[in-house]
Amino acid sequence: MNPIDPRVHQVLDGELARESLPPELRRVVDRLESAAALLAAAVPPQGAGLETRVMAAVRRPAPSGDRVRRLLRWFATPQAVTLRIRPAWSLALAAAIVLLTLVPTDERAPALGEHEGIAQFVGRFPDAHSVHVAGSFNDWRTGTIPLEDRDHDGVWRATVVLPTGAYEYMFVVDGERWVPDHWADRLVEDDFGRENSIVIVRATWR
Amino acid sequence: MRGGPSDTEVVARVLGGDREAFGLVIRRYETGLLRFATRMLGSRDAAADAVAEGLVRAYRHLASCRDPSRLRTWLFRIVANRCKSYLSRRAVGDVPLEEAPPVADSTDNEASLERAEQLALVAQALARLSPDKREAFVLKHVEGLSYQEMAAVTGERIPTLKMRVHRAREALLQVLEDHA
Repeated sequence: MNPIDPRVHQVLDGELARESLPPELRRVVDRLESAAALLAAAVPPQGAGLETRVMAAVRRPAPSGDRVRRLLRWFATPQAVTLRIRPAWSLALAAAIVLLTLVPTDERAPALGEHEGIAQFVGRFPDAHSVHVAGSFNDWRTGTIPLEDRDHDGVWRATVVLPTGAYEYMFVVDGERWVPDHWADRLVEDDFGRENSIVIVRATWR
Repeated sequence: MRGGPSDTEVVARVLGGDREAFGLVIRRYETGLLRFATRMLGSRDAAADAVAEGLVRAYRHLASCRDPSRLRTWLFRIVANRCKSYLSRRAVGDVPLEEAPPVADSTDNEASLERAEQLALVAQALARLSPDKREAFVLKHVEGLSYQEMAAVTGERIPTLKMRVHRAREALLQVLEDHA
């Protein structure tokens, strides 16, 4: 393979004016530009339109994602509960509540399904005004799962119930800065060149 | 100048719940993405699959696009990765790139046939390059990206990309001169 005169590369890279080249080197530039122009011809679409195909997938709800979203929404939204009970039963209910309150128990974990587990997200961001977690469990939406720093020590926490499985995620600090969790179970590089953290949610159902 | 809403506006609409607005993204970039993937894979079917997969992934991860004003570069990165994934898992026995049919004009006159022959020659020369060099040449000279944009697409440093483009030019020129 014969090396090309460096001035040809400079012209093709826009670093040198074409007029400064001698005629034989201009022909080399022409030849390469002609080849590129051939390759730049538009490729006619094949078969079903790309837009139709992609939009069909876009309109199709992602089953697991929807389930997670519904679950998260349920946990994040206040739920109105109305109980209608007979006065006689109210006494029994009150007794039961007293019993549950006074008798020590270790059963403090929320009731979870067989295929659900608890994911805890913790990050130290002393100067942050808000921290959220976004990941494959919430379609990378940035505003749905906030972390809290209740004691103002710069350590932000959130606990969410998720279906079991492995999820990629990142922290979103102050709504714009995407930060991986370096204390995560694992880190992986995604298609977009970033390092995502991985959380593995295991069933805690008993 | 391109009309319509900016990429930033379109992304905001999609993230706001208007998923039909993603059609604008597809119409805006499908020509370039399909051409890029076809030149990378040498097969229009495989290219259509790679671009479709890439666009669906882009939609699902749109909220993680940090700079929607550079949406085009972001989409090229996703599709480039889809192409690399396809090339790495291409089974032995598949149609090799250099035997893939050229993409020709649909008209059937003498000039277009000659043009199709030239295109086949260039496409075969391109197919003989390593995927890295092919990617660099296509991004630079076919899609017209700057070296900065290419660095964003590939994750490589600019001197590395320049070297790949230079080597690709030399290899292509050699083939073209051999057939002159």
